[in-house]
Amino acid sequence: MLRSYLKIAWRNLSKNKSFTIINIGGLALGMAVTLMIALWIEDELTFNDGFEHSDRIAQVLANRTFNGQTDTNWTMARPLEFVLRDQYSDNFDHIVMCKNWVPQYLEYNGKKISKTGNFMQRGAPEMLSLTMVGGEKDGLRDMNSIMLDESTAHALFGSENPIGKTIEINGEFGVRVSGVYSDLPYNSSFHGMRFLMPLERFIASREWARNVISDWGNHSFSLFVQIADNTTFSNVSSKIKNVEKDQHTEAQFNPELFLFPMKDWHLRSQFKGGKQAGGRITYVWLFGIIGVFVLLLACINFMNLSTARSEKRSKEVGIRKSIGSHRSQLIKQFLGESFLVVMFAFASALLLVHLSLDSFNDLAQKEISFPWHEPLFWVASSMFILLTALLAGSYPAMYLSSFKPVEVLKGTFRAGKNATTPRKVLVVFQFSVSMAFIIGTVIVAQQINHAKNRPSGYDKKGLVQLPVMSKEFAGKQDLFRDELLASGGITEMSTSSSPTTGVWSTWGGFVWEGQPDNFQVDMAWTWVSPEYVESLNLDIVHGRDFSRTMATDSMTILINRTAMDYMGLPDPVGKHIWFPTDNGPQFKMKIIGVVEDVIAQSPYEPVKQSIYAYDRANNASFYNLRLNPAHSTAENLASIEMVFKQHFPQLPFEYQFVDEEYGKKFASEERIGMLSGVFTGLAILISCLGLFGLASYVAEQRTKEIGIRKVLGASVFNVWKMLSNGFLKLIVLSSLIAIPISYYIMDGWLQEFTYRIILKWWIFALAMLGAIVITILTISFQAIKAARSNPIKSLRTE
Amino acid sequence: MLLQLNNIFKWVNSGGQRIFLLKDINLEVQEGEFISVMGPSGSGKSTLLNVIGMLDGFEEGEYTFLDEPVHSLKEKHRANLYKEYIGFVFQQYHLLDDLTVQENLEMPLLYKKIKGTERKAMVADMLDRFNIVGKKDLFPAQLSGGQQQLVGIARALISSPKLILADEPTGNLNSSQGEEIMALFKQLNDEGVTIIQVTHSEKNAAYGSRIINLLDGRMI
Repeated sequence: MLRSYLKIAWRNLSKNKSFTIINIGGLALGMAVTLMIALWIEDELTFNDGFEHSDRIAQVLANRTFNGQTDTNWTMARPLEFVLRDQYSDNFDHIVMCKNWVPQYLEYNGKKISKTGNFMQRGAPEMLSLTMVGGEKDGLRDMNSIMLDESTAHALFGSENPIGKTIEINGEFGVRVSGVYSDLPYNSSFHGMRFLMPLERFIASREWARNVISDWGNHSFSLFVQIADNTTFSNVSSKIKNVEKDQHTEAQFNPELFLFPMKDWHLRSQFKGGKQAGGRITYVWLFGIIGVFVLLLACINFMNLSTARSEKRSKEVGIRKSIGSHRSQLIKQFLGESFLVVMFAFASALLLVHLSLDSFNDLAQKEISFPWHEPLFWVASSMFILLTALLAGSYPAMYLSSFKPVEVLKGTFRAGKNATTPRKVLVVFQFSVSMAFIIGTVIVAQQINHAKNRPSGYDKKGLVQLPVMSKEFAGKQDLFRDELLASGGITEMSTSSSPTTGVWSTWGGFVWEGQPDNFQVDMAWTWVSPEYVESLNLDIVHGRDFSRTMATDSMTILINRTAMDYMGLPDPVGKHIWFPTDNGPQFKMKIIGVVEDVIAQSPYEPVKQSIYAYDRANNASFYNLRLNPAHSTAENLASIEMVFKQHFPQLPFEYQFVDEEYGKKFASEERIGMLSGVFTGLAILISCLGLFGLASYVAEQRTKEIGIRKVLGASVFNVWKMLSNGFLKLIVLSSLIAIPISYYIMDGWLQEFTYRIILKWWIFALAMLGAIVITILTISFQAIKAARSNPIKSLRTE
Repeated sequence: MLLQLNNIFKWVNSGGQRIFLLKDINLEVQEGEFISVMGPSGSGKSTLLNVIGMLDGFEEGEYTFLDEPVHSLKEKHRANLYKEYIGFVFQQYHLLDDLTVQENLEMPLLYKKIKGTERKAMVADMLDRFNIVGKKDLFPAQLSGGQQQLVGIARALISSPKLILADEPTGNLNSSQGEEIMALFKQLNDEGVTIIQVTHSEKNAAYGSRIINLLDGRMI
C-alpha cells in the first residue's frame, strides 16, 4: 500500500512539474531559513557551554546608585577578595580576582608581539577547565610565570618547546612559560584570552595597584567565582549582598553585590535600574519567531496550492472511494504525498544551507559548522520533517479526502466558496507576515542610518590612533610629534588617556562653584595633550583651546556641551573645580572652554558629560594623528611608520583608523539588520512563489469564464483587472493587519534607543505600496497569459 | 435475496421547496438478476444507482443489503460492505490517470488488504481473462474508450463482487464497442454476477432480465 501511495505521489509530482517546483522550492527555501536560524540559535544558546563548570561559575556584580539612578557595575574593589576568602570561603570552590583584557607586548628571542590576555589568580585554569597542551595546569602558582594559548605559543616559539622558556613583558620584567592551553573556543566569553598571568604580577608592576590593596573606593578589578556544589547562586548572592556596604564606611552608593551566572553572560547581560533586563536573548527570540513564520509561509504555499488543485484531484478521490477506500486511507495517502514533498524539500534545504553556510557565517559573524556527525541533529531533523509534513499536509489531506464521490464523479464538481475562504485567509496571513517583515527591516535600516548620520562632533576621516600603553612610549610624545610633523605625514598629533571612540574612565567627587547639594558627580574624564582639539577638528563652543605657551594652562580643563547643563553652569568659562581632600578642597582647576559633544560611547545614547584635562603627567594611552590631506593615506602611513621605527625599533607598528573603530559601534545592529533583511527577502520570495502558483490555478479555473467574457468583448486589460482585483483586495486587507502590529513591535524596539527615529506614516505606506507592486508583478504574468488566450480554444473543450 | 429497498425517499430542499429525487421506491433484487434502469434525463436513475451503491444516502425508508440494515450502519461499516460486495462501472470509465492498467486493477485489492503474491495472481488472471495482458503497462490515456471501459469492468470484477452497478457503461462508446461491453455483461451475468445498469438504450436494456422505469423519481 505504502509503495502504491509513494508511486502515485511520485507520478503526480513529476506530472505537474511547475506545481512541484513551486512547492518543493518554496518549502526548501523556508526550511533552509528555519534550519539556518535553528543553527544560529543553537550556537547562541550553547555559548560558554564549553566550560565544564559553566553552571557554577559567576561574576560578582554590584548595583551602585548615583543620584537616584542605579547602575550595575562589574568593577570591584581589591579588598573584597580578602573578605570573601576570610568569611565566605565555604560557599566557593574558587575565588578569582582578575584584571582582564590587558594588552601586553610579549618578547622572546628578539621577536615581539602584542597580545591581549588576563591577569588572574591561581584558581583560574581549574575554574575555566583549560585544556592543557603542555606544561602544568596549576601554572599561576609562581608569580613570575605565564600561561599561553596554543596559537600565541606557536607565534612566539614556532616549533620550539615553550615550557620553561622566559618571555620579556613590555620590556619590564621576565616571566617563565609554565603551561600552554588550547585556544578558547569562539563562542565563549574568554575567547581571545591569549595569555594568563598571575594577578600578583600585575599588582607588583603597577604602583597604583599596590596602593589600592585596602581601598574600598577604587573599583578596578573584576571578580569571578565558582560556587561550591552544595549551594546555589541565589543563596550565595543573598549572603554576600551587603559585603561592600558593610566594609566601606563611606559607602555612599549603597552597593549591593550579587552573582551573575555564566549562563546569562552572553544572552542576558543588560541591566536596567539594577534589574536584569534581557539582552541578546531578544534577538534569539526575534529570529526564532522569524524562523517559525518563514516556515509557516512555506507551509501555507503547500496548503494553498494543494487545495487549489483540488478539482483535479477530486476525481481521483471519488474513484478511490467508489472502489473501496476509507477516508482515513485517503488522508494517509495525501499525508504521504506531503511527506514526500517535504523530504525532497528538506534534502534541497540541506544543500542550500551547506552551500550558503560560509556566507551566512560571514554575515552573522559566526563559526557555525554543519553538525553532520551529530545523531541529535538527525533526530531533530526527522522531527522537523515530520512536523512540517503534518503542518503543511493535514489541511489539504482533510479537505481533499472529504469529497463525496457522487458529486465529484458526476463531473459537475466545483470547489465552492467554503474552499476559497480558508485559502484567502491563508494568503492574507502570508502577506501580513511579509509586510510586517518589510516594515521591520525598513525601520531597522532607518534607525541605523539615523544614528550613522548623527554628527559625531569631530572629524573621523583621516584620523589614526596608535595604542601606546607600553612603558617604552612614556615621555616620548613631544619628540615623536615634532618628527612626525617634520616628516609631512601628519598635520597634528595629540595624546589622550582614552580612545576617541570610548570612555575608559569616569571620575566623581569633585566640586565646583554653584554645585547643588548632595550632588553625586559622575563624569567622563580624559587626560589630553594641548593639541587634542586641533587634531580632532573639534569645535570650540565657548572660551578657548589649551595653549602650550601659557604656563598656567597646565591646571585647566575643557568641558563638553552636555557638561554645561549637567553642572548647571550656563556660563562655565572661568569657573573652577576642586578635588576634596582631608585638608579641604585642593587641586583647583579652571574651565577655559567648552567643546562640541563627541560621540565616544553608544551612538544611540546621549553624549556623556565629559572633562578633558591638560595632561601634565604621562597618562597617554593613545596618540591621535591627523593625517596630512596633501598626501595619500598610504604615503602618510609609510612616513609615520618610518619615524615610529626610529623611535621604537623594538615595537610593532600598530594603528587603527578612527572612522573604522567608530563604525564598529554599529556592527551589532547592522548585522541584525542585514540578517533580518535577508530573511525578509526570502519570506517575500516564498510568498510570491505561492501567489504565482495560486494565480495560475485561478486563471486556469476561470478559463471558461474568461473565454465567454472575451467573446462578449472584454479586452486583455479588462480580464487582467478582473483577475488582479481579487488578490489586490487581499493585499490591502493584509496591510490593515500588518501595519498596526508592526507599528506596535517596532515602536517597542525603538524605545531601547534614546536617540531614535520617529515612525512616519510614509514608511507604512511605502511597505503597502511595495507589497501591491510585488503582487501585481507576480500575478500579472498569469493574468495576461490567461487574458490573451484564444477564447475559441477554451470554450471548445469540455 | 440480495437487496431490498422499502419506501425509499430522497429529497433536497431548494428555495423553501422540497424537491424529490426519489419517491417511495420499493425494490427487491435477487441474486443473479440483470436489471436495466431506464427513464428520461433527471428521472433519478443515477441517484437510485448511487443509493444502491451506498455512495449516496437517502432521507426516508429502509435499505437491506444481504440482511444488513444499510440505513442504520455507520459510514465505515457501510464502506466495508460495498467494498466487499459491490463493483462500479462508470460512463466516463473513471480510471486513475496516474496508474497503469495493471496498477488500476490492483487498487481495489490493496484497499481490501490482500497479500502481494495473491494480488499479483488475481491481476494476472483478470488481464488474461479480458485479453489485455499486452496493455498492462499502458496508462489509461493511451487506450481507446472501449479498452478503458474494459479495464473499468475488470477493475469492478477483480474483487469478485456479488453486484455490479453500471451507470450508462456504453454511453461514451461507439456502437460496436458498446455491443462488446454488453455481451461481456451478459456473459458475467450468466456466470452468476448480479448486474444493475442504467441505460438510455432500449437495445442495451434488452440484455437484461428485468427493466425498471423511472419518472420524476418514481417507479412506474
